[in-house]
Amino acid sequence: MDEQTTAKTELLKFVPKPDRPPIVISHGIAGWLKKHLFGGFWNTLLTIAVFTLLYLLIKPFLDWAVINAVWSAANRRECMTVSPDGACWAGVIRWFNNLIYGRYPDLLQWRVNLGFGIGIIWALPLALKRLKGKLQIGVAGVVLYPFVAAYIFLGGERGDFHYLVFCLGLAYLILLYIDVALVHTRGKKLSQVFDRYLEPIFGKRSAVASFILIMALITVLCLYIFRGVELEYVSIEFWGGLFLTVIISGFSITMALPIGIMLALGRRSTMPVLRWFSIATIELVRSVPMITVLFMSVTMMPLFFPNTMDLNKLAQVIIAVCVFAGAYMAETVRGGLQSIPKGQFDAAMSIGLGYWQTMFLIILPQALRAMIPNIVTSFISLFKDTTLVSIIGLFDIMLMARNISIDKNWFGLHSEPLVAISVLFFVFCYGMSQYSQRLERKLNTSR
Amino acid sequence: MTIDMTETNNAEKAIPAVSAVEISGLNKWFDEFHVLKDIELSVSEKEIIVICGPSGSGKSTFIRCINHLETYQEGTISIFGQPLDNPKTAQGIIRDNVGMLFQSFNLFPHLTIIKNCTLGPIWLRRIPEAKAIEQSMALLDRVGIADLAEKFPGQISGGQQQRVAIARSLAMEPRIMLFDEPTSALDPEMIKEVLDVMVDLAESGMTMMCVTHEMQFAHEVADRVIFMTDGEIVEMGPPEQVLKNPKWDRTQQFLQHVLSHKS
Repeated sequence: MDEQTTAKTELLKFVPKPDRPPIVISHGIAGWLKKHLFGGFWNTLLTIAVFTLLYLLIKPFLDWAVINAVWSAANRRECMTVSPDGACWAGVIRWFNNLIYGRYPDLLQWRVNLGFGIGIIWALPLALKRLKGKLQIGVAGVVLYPFVAAYIFLGGERGDFHYLVFCLGLAYLILLYIDVALVHTRGKKLSQVFDRYLEPIFGKRSAVASFILIMALITVLCLYIFRGVELEYVSIEFWGGLFLTVIISGFSITMALPIGIMLALGRRSTMPVLRWFSIATIELVRSVPMITVLFMSVTMMPLFFPNTMDLNKLAQVIIAVCVFAGAYMAETVRGGLQSIPKGQFDAAMSIGLGYWQTMFLIILPQALRAMIPNIVTSFISLFKDTTLVSIIGLFDIMLMARNISIDKNWFGLHSEPLVAISVLFFVFCYGMSQYSQRLERKLNTSR
Repeated sequence: MTIDMTETNNAEKAIPAVSAVEISGLNKWFDEFHVLKDIELSVSEKEIIVICGPSGSGKSTFIRCINHLETYQEGTISIFGQPLDNPKTAQGIIRDNVGMLFQSFNLFPHLTIIKNCTLGPIWLRRIPEAKAIEQSMALLDRVGIADLAEKFPGQISGGQQQRVAIARSLAMEPRIMLFDEPTSALDPEMIKEVLDVMVDLAESGMTMMCVTHEMQFAHEVADRVIFMTDGEIVEMGPPEQVLKNPKWDRTQQFLQHVLSHKS
């Protein structure tokens, strides 16, 4: 009797079933084709229709662009006699150098390569995992790199200040690479190696002090090394091609985000004057065509600056494009800010974070992450929109491409250069889009 | 801020009777709608207050006012004798004294659990990172989830998230904790794990003001229970009195609803 009751009241012990690996279904290539392309009558019909259409569209293009194309000829007439139905790539190849560098002197084009090379070298450490303080590297890059690049691109007598900043930039780059090497071998930055010797003098500030001292040392070294070197002056009028396009769009892409963030925060601010100013800027710039903004920048902007200031066309255009891109970016960022739940502000406030800390530590990281696709879309369209500067006479890649058709040897060669620069633009834009998708995936894994 | 703190500490030694939270004549309107009507309340240190009432009674708004998340049009709120009149100094007083928990946890989803906890200490109290991590790990251990430190909020359960939120608040070493329906968004099994931590906090001598519908918790832990409806404090007293022998019919009615739902 007793035994029976204990047996009844005793509960069964629950043990979860062991996990099984998921079932993998594979049909091979034939199976995949059957399932996805030829499953059923309508599906098959659709597949065949689409492929036929693709063939009808692509075949003539390939005939023109590859099969009947002429790759080397002295002028367009020769192209036409060899193959009247084919593309005349010879003209594009002849002008290719100008498409990339504009009218920059052939012998000095290594300076353009060097300038962009330095930019790439500067950006590379940002991809390293073990290096800390990437924000500082990024900000230093944004502030110093334009001076370094301008020094190399322009050449000529640039004045003491520009020379100093140029050397400062180079010094930062050198220190950056010493740090990269040290972090991977010793696990320490150069300034961290020395700061304990400086501690008796500077106390808590020794880390900053050692960084400044090392920077000063390398800068002086650079100043000494490059003191006699003077590059030949190349006026901005000779800049052009892809080179110019990348300068304008690179500059405005970098500046668009900070400007956009500031305008978006201004628009949401509780301070009326700041809010009105932001709204006015955003709405005014957004409701005017970009070409108008560009024209106004060239004709009207000089009125707002003192006469003594020598504004060149490129600077005016860059300022205009930055403001234009910033206003658009502001609305993108504002969309991101609105997607953040109010609870995040409450939580940040209740911990005691102030406005800027809340924004930069809590809200913006989340908002920008949510907005990556939109931000990159803006960047891509900005990159393409910069071709509009050809209208006010800057020899960017677009104007160079159209110039080919008025060259007396290649008179009337319209399509080929445009196809060529389309390919170039595609490579750049597709690269940006791929990078943004990689970035998204990387950030999403941490959720 | 440090100067203010020492001043209050001295004042406390001289007059031990200074109340942790002192609210007088608090009135608040949302446009035309009168949310809070003449609220008077004095909470002494280490006291546990439970606030209950029907939805829309203004209890959440009330507790948010104490944390300066809501502005109010009339009345004064003082934390340890320091009035929150000036918005500039209020933020500092709140930061040094008051922590708050929310119904929807409000963890920062882009930061790991440990970074959620160390953010305040590192950026506001200027504690070195290594030390902040050590302190926060101790707090996470106290709420029983030290092993989740490297996870992201989206990867853990609601109950665990709320316990992280408690650890995050405690990392700022508050003397008063406010709770805005901390268990309302949780499954029954998780409610208990959060309540256990809250009971533990109460026993450690924290001053607590808690908006909740957990009558069991109120009964066991609260020193005083407040019943609010239509923006007024209707009833206030020891849990025995308010929960068992309420004075007003409205309280009786509310309690019947809550209790019948629970059973």
